[in-house]
Amino acid sequence: MDPLWINIFRKKLDDESLAYFLKHLPIFSELSPRALATLENLVHVRNYDAYETIFEEGDPGSGMYMIRKGSVQIYACDQSGAEEELARLIPGDFFGETTLTAPAPRSASARTMEATELVGLFRADILELAERKPSISSSILLGLTRIVSERLQAASQEIRRLRKLTGEQVSRENIET
Amino acid sequence: MNNPVQKYRGWSRAQAAMAFLILSAAIACGLAVYSSASSLIGVSRTAFSVLFLPLLFSLVLAFLLDPIVTQLEKLFSRTVSIFIVYVLTLGLATLMILWLVPHLQEFWGNIRTDFPRYTHQAIEGLKRSMAALHDRFPFIEDYGLPMKLRSWAEQLMAAILAQTPQSAMKIGGLLVLVPLFTFFFLRDGRRIMSACVALAPNRHFEMAHDLSYLVNRQLSQFVRGRVLEAIIVGLVVAGGLSLTDIRYAPMLGIFAGVTNLIPYIGPIIGMTPGLLIAFADLGVGGQFWWIVILYILIAQVLVDNFILIPVLISRVSNLHPLLVFFAIIVGGKLYGVIGMIIGVPIVSVIKITLLEIRTYRRNFRLPEAALESDRPHNL
Repeated sequence: MDPLWINIFRKKLDDESLAYFLKHLPIFSELSPRALATLENLVHVRNYDAYETIFEEGDPGSGMYMIRKGSVQIYACDQSGAEEELARLIPGDFFGETTLTAPAPRSASARTMEATELVGLFRADILELAERKPSISSSILLGLTRIVSERLQAASQEIRRLRKLTGEQVSRENIET
Repeated sequence: MNNPVQKYRGWSRAQAAMAFLILSAAIACGLAVYSSASSLIGVSRTAFSVLFLPLLFSLVLAFLLDPIVTQLEKLFSRTVSIFIVYVLTLGLATLMILWLVPHLQEFWGNIRTDFPRYTHQAIEGLKRSMAALHDRFPFIEDYGLPMKLRSWAEQLMAAILAQTPQSAMKIGGLLVLVPLFTFFFLRDGRRIMSACVALAPNRHFEMAHDLSYLVNRQLSQFVRGRVLEAIIVGLVVAGGLSLTDIRYAPMLGIFAGVTNLIPYIGPIIGMTPGLLIAFADLGVGGQFWWIVILYILIAQVLVDNFILIPVLISRVSNLHPLLVFFAIIVGGKLYGVIGMIIGVPIVSVIKITLLEIRTYRRNFRLPEAALESDRPHNL
């Protein structure tokens, strides 16, 4: 919705409101109502058609997207241009959170699979909020850090498991030769 | 084909009449669209010229007050913070006006008697130097320069006297509009900005949003730096001048501060009236040389070039001198004296925006560039 008009349509059914949606995301589940109200004015709601590109690998990444309606495919292209699907995301999922705090190119591409409503939260808004309301921005960033570190832990466990697997494979090959 | 009247070049009379009707309707429509478009352009040009100055001043004021409002916002809501800042600013402005009004009255009271005296002195000086020149080079013709200078000075004085009430009306209008606009820019600036950015198509939204933030940050730094620089230079000049016996020290300080907004030429214009008045009133002596040193060495070299510019102004906004001249000439042509002052900052703003976009494009591959470089792979 146009940010100028958000205030006028404030009275909506609770479970239809943006604040309700944000509150039920794991990142923002521990935010106070005041912080949620601030966040509601900070995010950008964007509507996409089916099969519309959200971003492509290598694009400048400046924020994360949360899926409110519809579904999103995350994919990567190899050297020959063939697409490999990495994930299929549904409402309540979010993606692109790694570029929220540090500017980096997107590491994969994303496109919608049907008509989709995304809620975007971008670095510029967080930086600006950090100057105006440091406490609210830090509680938002804490939630984000929690999720990112959970994912990081999962990833490092995965790396350890894979390394173990390849190590076993290499030692087996050594024995065979 | 038998009847050439009925069939003209293969068309029946009805068809020809229809074609004629359609053509004339098309021409009429075109004319109507053209005239309404040109009147629309006229209307929008009028609207723009009416709104331009108040919008510009309120944007600058909003950039200046925004950091204070942001600091207060940690304690109060944004609207309350803006009101607090407004009350403080109003108090400061009232003090400033109370201090300035006696000086202004003195200025206006004296300038009518002083200005002819100054021009008279200048004409006398010119006559003397012309006479000296004639003594040395008798073959030079007398161009009647003193008379030209006199008539020019009289015209200038008449213009100042005639235009003062008019510009006072304009300033009165600005005093009402600028605080109003500034209030809304301060309160809703972020929403207005994001509503504008939201118009961008999905594919380019993220980049537009990021760029708007970066450009906004650079611009606010630039505007704050420039205005602070002008205020400090003005204060230094006014303070230094008030140590001497020169009259109109506060006015000359304000003039030097405002003209300091123009790079290269501004400081020279800013010091001219001060030096002329000092020369006419005080003569060439210790005080005159102190004023020269104050204008050139203290205000320009020491305070402005060594302290203010390195601290306040980023190198990004440096303009080539040629570009500065273009900006001043075009600004002067479009908006007169005010155009000359704001022309250079506006060109700097455009330059900052373009540079910010270029840095952004360098740091990341743009979507189009990425697509183009990927194309050979896909083929």
